[in-house]
Amino acid sequence: MDGIRVGKRVIGTQGPVTIGWENIPRVQGGPVKQFIFTWFQPTMLFALILFWYYAPNSIATASTAIGIHIGFHALLLGLEWVNPRFDSWRLTWKELVTDLFYVSLGYTVLRMVDNYIGSDVMVGAIQHLFHWENFKWFIGLPLLVQAFLISFIFDFGQYWMHRGMHNWYPLWLPHSVHHYITQLNINKGAVGNPVELFLIGLGIGGFFDFLPRAFLLAGAISGAIGVYQHINVRFNSPRWWRFLFNTTEHHSLHHSQDYEATRSNYAGAYIFIDRIFGTCVDGEAEHLGLEGGRRMSIREQMTYPFTEGWKMIKAKFARPAAAVPAE
Amino acid sequence: MNLRFIDWIWRVRGTLPLAPAQTGDEAFARLDPLFRQNGTTRKRTGSAMTFSKKDPAAQDKMSVFDGGVLTVEEGATGPVLRYDLVSRALLFCFLAPFMFLAFAQVTIAIGKWQKPSAEAAKTAEARKKEEEKKDVEVPMNPIDKFLGAPEPEKPKKDEKDKDEEGDRKKPSPTAAYVFAGIFSALYLIGRVLEDRLIKRLFRKSLLGS
Repeated sequence: MDGIRVGKRVIGTQGPVTIGWENIPRVQGGPVKQFIFTWFQPTMLFALILFWYYAPNSIATASTAIGIHIGFHALLLGLEWVNPRFDSWRLTWKELVTDLFYVSLGYTVLRMVDNYIGSDVMVGAIQHLFHWENFKWFIGLPLLVQAFLISFIFDFGQYWMHRGMHNWYPLWLPHSVHHYITQLNINKGAVGNPVELFLIGLGIGGFFDFLPRAFLLAGAISGAIGVYQHINVRFNSPRWWRFLFNTTEHHSLHHSQDYEATRSNYAGAYIFIDRIFGTCVDGEAEHLGLEGGRRMSIREQMTYPFTEGWKMIKAKFARPAAAVPAE
Repeated sequence: MNLRFIDWIWRVRGTLPLAPAQTGDEAFARLDPLFRQNGTTRKRTGSAMTFSKKDPAAQDKMSVFDGGVLTVEEGATGPVLRYDLVSRALLFCFLAPFMFLAFAQVTIAIGKWQKPSAEAAKTAEARKKEEEKKDVEVPMNPIDKFLGAPEPEKPKKDEKDKDEEGDRKKPSPTAAYVFAGIFSALYLIGRVLEDRLIKRLFRKSLLGS
């Protein structure tokens, strides 16, 4: 494969990718379908913003957020059924079971671990940091500005953490497992080694216990944008949307079988962070995964970072071969 | 214990009549493309073929199965294909509800164990924080006032909520029970669905349609 030059890089030498918006297929079908799959994403984003902006205090709670999260994911599963991006990404029974297993870990074991190790410590630290008096100036800003800043700062941190994972082997080990998926579906974001999921949950879970409205709004904004990273739905996302926000197209490229393509599009929600730092590539890929598309079993996903880490340590500290004596 | 009584949990068996005048060789030739997949090995010995799969891609139409035996036999009305397939995914899904029931029990046990220490902590630290917060005013930007957003809750009320949240934060086994139910349903669906899908796939391949 020749690959395509994007800036200083050549992308697509190891795996098939499509580069450039003009080369990406559009939604097929009548005007109603076209309309729905063009405006669905912005409509849902603005609807969620309005909801969290105006909901009475009694409704604007973390449990409502979890309810909306589950309902929204169910709706998106329906859209995957109706208008898949690729037939080869169709959800199978086995994929659904595997994905839900990871989702269930998030709701049970990881939540428990987060509660006892992560959240309480984080909440303590953040509550101290965000003492009312110290942050009065921030709480006095318009709600939407607060929400954007919270989501942006969080995404900015995630960008560098994610980029670090792709550049530093000890961080890559727990993250690599997530890259062995061979298709994108709505719950694939949950698939990964628990060490990585725990680290991510630490950031999010910590906020959930003392949420002012701005945090709920921030979560809704990040969620309503980032949820489309892993989804098998073809959208005609508006031009401004795909310029600012991460899309399935961007993230499929990040998951492609081409090494150079995976080193792009690190942001969770705001792809403009990638544009600022020169890591954004606009395009998409159908063939995903590592090692030519080897789908890891759950058992290997659980142990891989540790077994590979052990191999690395052993290689590093192995006794060097006997030195050749000087003549 | 004779596994035959319980191995229906993870094994899918069935028979399919071959097309009229179709020989065993022809039948295996027609089925062959299904086994030409990454991570699949197959071995033909006479009228039987065994296969095994290692880490098949999601796109492999037989990815739910890890191995099995296909044989062509003489049936009552002519030659038939008999298959016996093993699926670890089905076994995993069958066992998953038990795992979540165990999680629920662990959650309850931890909740009971943690209760006394949580109350002790509340008396000391929480009271101090409550006192600190009493006179704080929560600002609201004029733009939000103009647009009609609900006023932020006063910290005094927060204290109450906090107590409630403290109660709510007690580990709840509900999620584990819900997932035990979901995986039970998924097992039943999968056991029936995958049985039908593989039958349909083999039939389509044998008839070449």
